[in-house]
Amino acid sequence: MSASPDTAYGLTEDDRVQALESPLAFARRRFDGEFHIDAFGGDAQLMDLAGLVVAFGVRVEVEHAERLPHIGGALVVANRGLGLVEPAALAVAVRVAVGRRLRVIGAPDTPILGDIVRKIGAVGYRADDVAALLRAGHLAAAPLASTWLRSGAGAPPRELLAAILGYPVVPAAVLPGGPGPLPIRPWRVIVGPVVETATDAVPGDTLAGAELAERTRAAVNRLLETARGSG
Amino acid sequence: MRVLVTGMGGELGTRVAQLLEERDEASEIAGFDMWPPRRRLRRSEFHRIEPLDQERITEFVHDFAPEIVIHYGVYEPDSRLGGREAAEASEACTVHVLTAAAETGGLERVAVRSGLEVYGRGRGRPVVPAEDAPLAPTSPYGRTCLEVETLAAALVRRLGIPVAALRLAPVVGSHVPSPLGRVLRLPLVPVPALADPAFVLLSQEDAARAMVEAVMRSVDGPVNVVGRGAASPWQAARLGGRIPIPVLGPGWDAARRIAEIAGAPVPPHVVELLRQGRAGDGTRAHDVLSLPGLRSTLEICTELYEWGTVSQLRPAEDVA
Repeated sequence: MSASPDTAYGLTEDDRVQALESPLAFARRRFDGEFHIDAFGGDAQLMDLAGLVVAFGVRVEVEHAERLPHIGGALVVANRGLGLVEPAALAVAVRVAVGRRLRVIGAPDTPILGDIVRKIGAVGYRADDVAALLRAGHLAAAPLASTWLRSGAGAPPRELLAAILGYPVVPAAVLPGGPGPLPIRPWRVIVGPVVETATDAVPGDTLAGAELAERTRAAVNRLLETARGSG
Repeated sequence: MRVLVTGMGGELGTRVAQLLEERDEASEIAGFDMWPPRRRLRRSEFHRIEPLDQERITEFVHDFAPEIVIHYGVYEPDSRLGGREAAEASEACTVHVLTAAAETGGLERVAVRSGLEVYGRGRGRPVVPAEDAPLAPTSPYGRTCLEVETLAAALVRRLGIPVAALRLAPVVGSHVPSPLGRVLRLPLVPVPALADPAFVLLSQEDAARAMVEAVMRSVDGPVNVVGRGAASPWQAARLGGRIPIPVLGPGWDAARRIAEIAGAPVPPHVVELLRQGRAGDGTRAHDVLSLPGLRSTLEICTELYEWGTVSQLRPAEDVA
């Protein structure tokens, strides 16, 4: 064995993006099994590799990046159109702004595909799993319901927000741009201030969760309207 | 305080007794098992009693009149007993010990061994269940753990004392007779062909520490105890320089038979772990047990492969 797991890639107990090793070192580490995965199935090395590939394909401009938490569990809630590129743009924004790995919620509960997307950082859409993810100190992204024409913020994930009461909820607006190598405008990610919640709310409080969900949708809508007004 | 340790002959039970011997609060320590303790115990009293022997267990528990019971007499299938024998021994031992201890009238706290297997695995279930997740075991060992917890909960209702149920991640370590450890140490390791799910492990030392802390801190209710991080079957096999053999559907039955012939019987809960992973949210353990320096799953896997290989010594041929 060439190295102790203590020095293995990603075994740092946090979710900071790390610099990738040379292709040879990368391949050797994969072959020897000396890499870090977490209980949710996320593979630190593959997450960083996927993040790099996505960042090459999706150019992103972040506004109010200082509102993204640098440490600890938090949930970023953003709008989406068809649902694939927006989470990718958000992940790139988080990677660029605070150097953290974003765990996107919505991995399918199917063999092969579900396993692959979990390895690159996605987690299933289960309220109790998302709550466990935040307790473990990860930064997660929950999409609002899809709005096909990107007409505004979709329906909020009430059950999920009720389960994570007590953790910061950060609204974000994602506005479309174009692929990275092409000379067209980048995607815009505008981060809003943390949504206020009732101080006495406890996880699982359905009413407080619904109230938080509505506030979050309103916050994302305001960000979208402001962006369109200024854009 | 008088502390009774069941399953004292196993690696974990013996280690629990050793840790208790370092505590002044544990003025008297006694225990029993069907095997003698695995290490030297300085001031613990050991009795060799079969878990099915209700008469001797009851007599021993009544005589000792414990204030604390640490119930490690929950046997994992194919660790030291076969599947059916392990289930029977675990359930009988639990019933006899808890009933007798409750009858003494002086019982103050109890901690029982359970496992993450109580949550079961499969579609629609949480990947990383917390203690409040639905209990729906999908393996015989999971059902045994649930039965142990149910019996312990009945004790809570009867006496109103704190009873901790420690849902341990699979315990793997040097000298621990673990079916998972044996499979992972085979030269060819069966792994799922179309998946690579994450599983968590717990070191024997951390399992023993958790049990002692649970009773000393009067912890009540279920607590998941898991090591840091996770590993996957493909990764674990490669960490040990083993060859992963991808297995699909019905191929698992053949893989189990071949592994059994090779000396590593694979009970259903281990097949379930290899095919669907196993994890648990250890936040509550962090809060109520405060166990610093928990070993990581990757470290435990690495240590698993660092055991010395048994070498046959040839007797001297020509002596004088």
